[in-house]
Amino acid sequence: MSRVRSAGSAHTGVTEWLLQRVTSLYMGGFVIYAILHLSLSPVRDHAAWKAWFAMGYVRIAWALFLASIMIHAWVGMRSIYLDYLHPLWLRFSVTLLTALGLLALALWAAQILITAAP
Amino acid sequence: MEKNKNRPVYLNLFKIRLPVGGILSILHRATGAFLVLLLPITLYILQRSLQDPAAYAQIAAQVATHVGRVVVLMFVWVFAQHFFSGVRHLLLDIGLGDSKPAARRNAWLAFAASLTVVALTGVCL
Repeated sequence: MSRVRSAGSAHTGVTEWLLQRVTSLYMGGFVIYAILHLSLSPVRDHAAWKAWFAMGYVRIAWALFLASIMIHAWVGMRSIYLDYLHPLWLRFSVTLLTALGLLALALWAAQILITAAP
Repeated sequence: MEKNKNRPVYLNLFKIRLPVGGILSILHRATGAFLVLLLPITLYILQRSLQDPAAYAQIAAQVATHVGRVVVLMFVWVFAQHFFSGVRHLLLDIGLGDSKPAARRNAWLAFAASLTVVALTGVCL
C-alpha cells in the first residue's frame, strides 16, 4: 500500500480524464462545423481562405480548437508514457520534452491566428 | 488443483490474439501519437496557406498531384480512425453499446466509418 501511495498521487487522474473528454467534445464539434462550412461554401483561393479567418469568431473557434488539441495531446501522450516508459528518469525527461514542445506549438498556433487577423 | 499446462507463462505478443476492440484500442493510441508527431508540419502548412497567394497556390498544387492525394487520404484515414474510435470511447463512457457483442460490433463500425470517410474524401478531392 505504501508503494502504491508513493507511486501515484491521489486525486490526479480525474482532471486528466475529464479534460480528455471535454476537449474531444469541442474538437468533434469544431471539425463537424468546419467540414460543413467548407462543404457549403468551398474555399477556391487564398482570398476566400483569408476571408474565413478574417472573422473574429472563426479565429476564436480555431484558437479553442488548437488549444484543445494541445491539451488533448498532452493527456494522451502522458497516459502512453505512464504505461510504457518505466524508468523514472526516462519518463520524466520525455514528459518534460513533450510539455515544452506542446507549449511551443501552442504559442506558434497563437501567432499564426493573430497574424491571420485583418 | 491441477494447473492448465497450456497456460501462457510468457507474454509473446505474436501468440496473443487480440479481439477487434483491443486492436481498435491500440490503434487509437497509435493514431493519436502519430497525429501529435504530425502537429508541427500541420501547423506549418496552416501558416503557409494563410501567408500569401503564392504559398497557398503552391500547397494547392501539391495536394492536386497523385502523391499529394495519397498523403492527404492517409492523413484523413489516421484522423478519421482516431475520431471514430474516440466517439466509440465516449459512447462506452456513458454506457452505450458496452455489452460484449455490441462492443465488438461497434468496433468494426469504427473501422467501417473511417474507411467510408476516406472513400468520400477520395471522391470529393
